[in-house]
Amino acid sequence: MTATQAIRTVAQGEHPPLQRSAEERRSRTRQRRTFWLLAAPAILGLFGSFVAPLLYMVRMAFNRGSSDGVIEETFTLDTFARAVEDPYYWKVTLDTFLMGLTVAVLCVIVAYPIALFLMRSQSRFKSVLIALAIAPLLTSAVVRTYGWMVILGGGGLINGTLIDLGLITIPLQLANNFTGVIIGLTEIFMPYAILAMMSGFGKLDPRLEEAAGSLGANRIRTFLKVTLPLSLPGALAAGLLVFVLAISTFVTPRLLGGGAVRVLATEIYDQATGLINWPFAAALSILLLLLFGAMIAGYQALVRKLGIDR
Amino acid sequence: MTAVKLTLDRLTKQYRAGLAPAVDRLDMEVEEGHLVALLGPSGCGKTTTLRMVAGLMDPTAGRIVVDGRDITATPVHERGMGMVFQSYALFPHMDVAANVAFGLQMRRVAKSKQTELVRNALDMVKLGHLASRHPKELSGGQQQRVALARALVVEPTLLLLDEPLSNLDAKLRETMRTEIRSIQRRTGATTLFVTHDQDEALDMADRIAVMNGGLIEQFGTPADIYERPRTRFVADFIGRANLFEASVAAASGTGSKGETVYRIDVPGIGTSEAIGEAGLEGSQRTVLVRPHRVQVELGAQPGGLTGTIENVSYTGDALGYSIRLGDVLLQVERHTADGTIPARGEQATVRWAAEDAYVLPEEVRAP
Amino acid sequence: MTASAPAPFKKRVDGGAMAFRVIVALSYLFLLAPLLIVVVIAFSSNQYLSFPPEGFTLRWFAELPQQAGFMQGLQTSLITASAATLIVLVIGVSAALALDRYDVPGKAALSSFFLSPLLVPTIVIALGLVLVLGPLGLTNTYESIVLGHIGITLPYVVRTTLMSLATSDTSCEEAARVLGANAFTVFRRVTLPIIRPGVIAGGVIAFIVSFDEAVISLFVAESGRPTLPVQILRYVEYSADAAVAALSVVLIVFSAVVVVVVERLMGLKRTLA
Repeated sequence: MTATQAIRTVAQGEHPPLQRSAEERRSRTRQRRTFWLLAAPAILGLFGSFVAPLLYMVRMAFNRGSSDGVIEETFTLDTFARAVEDPYYWKVTLDTFLMGLTVAVLCVIVAYPIALFLMRSQSRFKSVLIALAIAPLLTSAVVRTYGWMVILGGGGLINGTLIDLGLITIPLQLANNFTGVIIGLTEIFMPYAILAMMSGFGKLDPRLEEAAGSLGANRIRTFLKVTLPLSLPGALAAGLLVFVLAISTFVTPRLLGGGAVRVLATEIYDQATGLINWPFAAALSILLLLLFGAMIAGYQALVRKLGIDR
Repeated sequence: MTAVKLTLDRLTKQYRAGLAPAVDRLDMEVEEGHLVALLGPSGCGKTTTLRMVAGLMDPTAGRIVVDGRDITATPVHERGMGMVFQSYALFPHMDVAANVAFGLQMRRVAKSKQTELVRNALDMVKLGHLASRHPKELSGGQQQRVALARALVVEPTLLLLDEPLSNLDAKLRETMRTEIRSIQRRTGATTLFVTHDQDEALDMADRIAVMNGGLIEQFGTPADIYERPRTRFVADFIGRANLFEASVAAASGTGSKGETVYRIDVPGIGTSEAIGEAGLEGSQRTVLVRPHRVQVELGAQPGGLTGTIENVSYTGDALGYSIRLGDVLLQVERHTADGTIPARGEQATVRWAAEDAYVLPEEVRAP
Repeated sequence: MTASAPAPFKKRVDGGAMAFRVIVALSYLFLLAPLLIVVVIAFSSNQYLSFPPEGFTLRWFAELPQQAGFMQGLQTSLITASAATLIVLVIGVSAALALDRYDVPGKAALSSFFLSPLLVPTIVIALGLVLVLGPLGLTNTYESIVLGHIGITLPYVVRTTLMSLATSDTSCEEAARVLGANAFTVFRRVTLPIIRPGVIAGGVIAFIVSFDEAVISLFVAESGRPTLPVQILRYVEYSADAAVAALSVVLIVFSAVVVVVVERLMGLKRTLA
């Protein structure tokens, strides 16, 4: 037999009604089932590790606690009220905010040259230099903070050297205060700032600088008039990121602050483990979350607005 | 031997409700041992059809029957097909031998037998010496051969080729055409071959299904498709074509293959002859004349259609003319040996043998 | 007068570029200062923390095994980080597979959900975990630490695996299916080997993040199962001596290995950004 001469004239636009075959329906169901089966363990894991603790913490903030560890199951705003009414916590929150702001500004300033350099570098060691700039991220914050304690401490590198040189006799107070914490945090968040700026600098086209140069602008003018304005959005994004990381960090204020630095994170720890006032710790956490969330939202809006690809 | 190997029965795929079906109630029968090309422009549904046959996609409606057995509901890994992908899809982490052996392992073929079959398959594609290479160490053509060996070693019920030559350079493509064809003949594997390249289809296929908008426009031998296209789309898609409308007048005789010879009247130009199916008298039809079947003489000559040369293109082997005949701009192609090169604006007379003009059976579609 | 030999192609000394390089070098120095100083201290023979180093010694490294607290912390960290990594690899890879290979409504939301733990301060998660686990009597256990670390390590595994999946050719999987492999075989023999770099990179990062994590571990298991970072943290609160420096060097080397592995497999910047 010869092949079917299959020629049909189906009017354009006349589509058969969608009657899915049993196979097609079965395979759709199967697909959906497999999807959820594959995703379920991770959803469950995240629920136990992340969602449930957060929800429970929010609920806890509406209970009434006391410093002897007794928790009164209730639904009240008293705990929040206490945090808001006490000027001490205003100061802690303000200090947290100021610390975050200072660290963000300093961090962007120190990280900026590296990010700019890495963006432009055509060195064959570029990938090594990038790795070197980011690698500290994968080193424990405890270890890096310890490094700063050694550098900044009373008998540390800086004071030791200055005393040996006879420049000072009494050690400078570089640790166990905000100064130390800010120096340490600035270094600790540099890799984040570098990463954020490098993705934010995407639009920084070196040809623009060359063009400016060829038009007779000198280096400083080129930098001020071309490079800086173009890189400002990336720097701003990096600053916001560092800010949110800084206001919620615990290890460095704890160690380099030596008990003298009181920020929200250290308060939360003390309330939770020292005073066992869980509702109050939860209320402070929510305060921190709000500060954090507002900034993250701002950060994401900024990233979206600038079209920075991350 | 004309056993039917594969039957597609009103096979349909509609990706989403309201969308035109990608494949629309497709009927097709493929004979055992044939190489069938699914030919058409991109988006015509040819790859969708192939993927439904492979089992990689479920049809919205219709049946797929292989060897008399309905396999529409059979999962892909139980269909026993062999498939070569456009990207070859070689497993990058396995060497050539392991790639080829994969299907045999899935079929739990004994180890010693595997080694032998893999060696034979690689010898068949002339790659026996590269068995321990990894895919990324191979050239495109070599990867292609490995993919072919991997598909054939399992003695598949059907061999499915999805644009297998499109990633090769032009020269290699020609070689691989011949090679795939000869291997296919030797193994006798019934083959479905998706391509958008008409030369490939004409050269390799026993049958060609020309697809357009989810429908098969025509299914036939390469010669059928080329010489006796049923629709304007097919005539236009395959080879170069002059297509113009004409009124089919009375039948004037019978052609050498039994077709009816008609007198045709091209409005505003004149009358000529063409062959076609029986029973087209008195209708308005599209007529096909291939450019190289047109005879040309310079000057106004009796017994032909006279027009003006609008353009001449010289390509070494061939001479192309565009000749203006009323509303029709006729493309003509002649060998350069045929004479001197005429100038633009000269008059020329064209004529063709009745057998070289074909009246399409398809009714003239409204523009 | 060789000094005045003509040098028409001598490069002009570019002061601006030099200044920029110096600034960059100083920034790098600042960035790496705490790690460099720790290394110096660890090999310095000074009895107390002081400068400059008086000599070279391996004494602090030799003494490490005698520090029972550190050794116990190390053991706890190794156990919990390994367990967390293993769990997160299994659930993270399968989640990434679902997200990349299946087209289901709600997929995008789920994808952001899996990455969301990185958007919440660790200290808040840590507090929440204590509040949930405390009343259940589950704090100070290996399990509590592992559970706490699942959330913060999952995003890395999901992200690196997704990156590998996105660049892999799905037709390889289709080819395997046509050749007779069922879904599980396809995953084991084809998908997994192809996405292995992403899976390994994710696993390695998950391990180091869990291993280095201090805050969650501090909250949920400070008294019962202190991990190594918690031990160090508590130790340096009272004495910052060279023993910790030696231990820190061990951890830095450990991180360096991770950095090299990840850089080789996926590119560090791509993975962490």
